Amino acid sequence: MDIISQMQEQVNSIALIALNTFGTLQRDAPPVRLSPNYPEPPANPTETINTTEQPKEMSAALVQAAKKFDALVAALPLNGGEEAQVKRIAELQAENEVVGLELQKELEAAELELKQVQELFSQASGKCLNLKKPD
Amino acid sequence: MSATSSSYPPPPPYYRLYKDYHEDPNSAPEPPPPIQGSYPLFGATYTTDVVLPSLEDQGVRQLYPKGPNIDYKKELRALNRELQLHILELADVLVERPSQYARRVEEISLIFKNLHHLLNSLRPHQARATLIHILERQIQRRKHAVEDIKRRREEAQKLLKESLQLLDGH
Repeated sequence: MDIISQMQEQVNSIALIALNTFGTLQRDAPPVRLSPNYPEPPANPTETINTTEQPKEMSAALVQAAKKFDALVAALPLNGGEEAQVKRIAELQAENEVVGLELQKELEAAELELKQVQELFSQASGKCLNLKKPD
Repeated sequence: MSATSSSYPPPPPYYRLYKDYHEDPNSAPEPPPPIQGSYPLFGATYTTDVVLPSLEDQGVRQLYPKGPNIDYKKELRALNRELQLHILELADVLVERPSQYARRVEEISLIFKNLHHLLNSLRPHQARATLIHILERQIQRRKHAVEDIKRRREEAQKLLKESLQLLDGH
């Protein structure tokens, strides 16, 4: 896939990772004490194991995705500006014209020679057939 | 009028103009010329001018500086950093003041729109680079073909001379 499409995919996957991160954290967050009047909510031991690991893994994934995007940006082959490209295209078109004309000339000369050789061959083979005495 | 707005409109009556097409092809009207400019289609307006609409045209604020020559790498990296900072800010807001998430989410979506617009505006550059690559390959192939033809013509000339000498030697 070309690099710009890769970068577009990477941007979309950064969005997806951020979305999943916030969604998961919000869904799995332990209940929070809202006011001093209410008692402390009961903490569930199995959930707390996950809720401390998940943010680390997911934020690591987010940072990885951002680094990959930076790497893709660095790999952009963005050498010439627009004018440089247009100039190069004009040069290449002129060169293509010249080479095309040369190719056409060579082709015509070769076709001429082919016809001559075929003519010669047919003459020679005709004379050969005439010389051969029937038994 | 009712024919165009009913749910199953009949086909347009232009087929009558082609009654004598078999005998005289010129008696029927010419096909309509290609449309130029903008045209309406099923209520929406489309344009034949293929140009990427700028962000302001879509009502989106442009975060990177305008100007003739944009340093794409720098702007893309800056937008990436901004994005990361805003995501961090959103996480912070969700912990401290959860009711104020909307503005942060809006800013993050603004950054994403800018990122995608920058990437889309790189496509013409990519198209020109592809064209350059194709032209270079074509020139190379043509040069090889010229060399090939020259070589084979020389070989054929040599063979002919040899065969001529062989025949004359008899």
